[in-house]
Amino acid sequence: MSQLVTSTSATGTRATRVLGLLAILVMLWVVIGGLVFTPQDVVQGESVRIMYVHVPSAWIAYLAFILTAVASASWLIGKKHSMGFDRFAGASAEVGVMFMAITLVTGSLWGRLTWGEFWQWDPRLTTTAFLFVTYLGYLAVRRLEGSAEQRARRSAIIALLAVLEIPLVHFSVVIWRSLHQGATVLNPSGDVKLDDLMLFTLFSGVVGFTLVFFWLVLHRQRTMLLLDVVNRRGLDTAIANRRAEGSTN
Amino acid sequence: MDLSPRPPDQPDETSRGSSSGARARRRWLPVIILSLLGVGGIVIVTQFLTSAIDYYCNVDEIGVREGCETTSRLRVQGTVEQNSLKKTETKTRFVMTFNDKSIDVVYSGDPGGVFQECIAVVAHGRMVEGVFESNRIEVKHSNEYVEKNTERFEASGSAACSLAQG
Repeated sequence: MSQLVTSTSATGTRATRVLGLLAILVMLWVVIGGLVFTPQDVVQGESVRIMYVHVPSAWIAYLAFILTAVASASWLIGKKHSMGFDRFAGASAEVGVMFMAITLVTGSLWGRLTWGEFWQWDPRLTTTAFLFVTYLGYLAVRRLEGSAEQRARRSAIIALLAVLEIPLVHFSVVIWRSLHQGATVLNPSGDVKLDDLMLFTLFSGVVGFTLVFFWLVLHRQRTMLLLDVVNRRGLDTAIANRRAEGSTN
Repeated sequence: MDLSPRPPDQPDETSRGSSSGARARRRWLPVIILSLLGVGGIVIVTQFLTSAIDYYCNVDEIGVREGCETTSRLRVQGTVEQNSLKKTETKTRFVMTFNDKSIDVVYSGDPGGVFQECIAVVAHGRMVEGVFESNRIEVKHSNEYVEKNTERFEASGSAACSLAQG
């Protein structure tokens, strides 16, 4: 444990470095393919390129929140209550919130160019904003006072409730009439209405963003582990000081 | 006060069995409650909230569907009919169609953006003497993405019409 704290490359390993390199390579293709090689859309023109960031970031945010729920359930149901699950849940939620923010910003920019409005309170946008705020609340709860056990229990219950919003967000365009278009790829009919190169670049974006996600989560959960170690050491020092005071009195 | 460590309790077989059962129940209780909440939420959302959350009325539902009364301000969705678009300096007029029903729409200004014939739009406004007077128009993009084809675009006069004609 002390090695982890003192090492200068404490959160990096050979595996994460390879993961990071792969992420850079795939993202390079997404940038070049998305901006140069893919064609304009017949109706949207150049603004279709926002899709290569907007859609993958939305999917990765879903993935992040689902993994948060799985890790939280593992912590709650598991007999050992391993804090590793809790740290993974927290790290995944933090990165998921970042991707959700990217989704909202890029979606607003696309909306201004296509709908003529940055924002409308239609079912998809409203449920997405609600999901974003819910996970901001989740992160706030993780920072409440209390022991690591209390933090893990509170946040696990919230994560299991919050994940129920994801089907609501995804199917909001099917259940209700929405200004936002229906799903192009993950639609109920299974008919993908997307030009081949656009589809390839979109999936490259999903792969690239997934690699970035896992790279960030691995580093973040290790940072959280170091923070827990530091907090525990702080507590040990405080107890030792208190004992020393007691013995001198 | 006696703070010396106490030996761990040695429960008999009966109490050990009942306490592990209680622990198992406690472990699964959150899952059961969450599942019930999930099912309840799905029923509420899909059965009771639909008409309250729908973003627009379709053209053929004006004055027919609950919440689409001609006396109130509406959001109406339909497709801009081909060859119906007429623009002046201050007004944009077009015919909006859905399910073989049409209404005349007059918009104050130029919608701009990707607004064009054959594209689905949501117009905000009111019915006044059979004409829908709109002060906001949003283009409702479909879930279809197709490479821009200049020849096909020029033949039909509108990108959305070229897409509609295949």
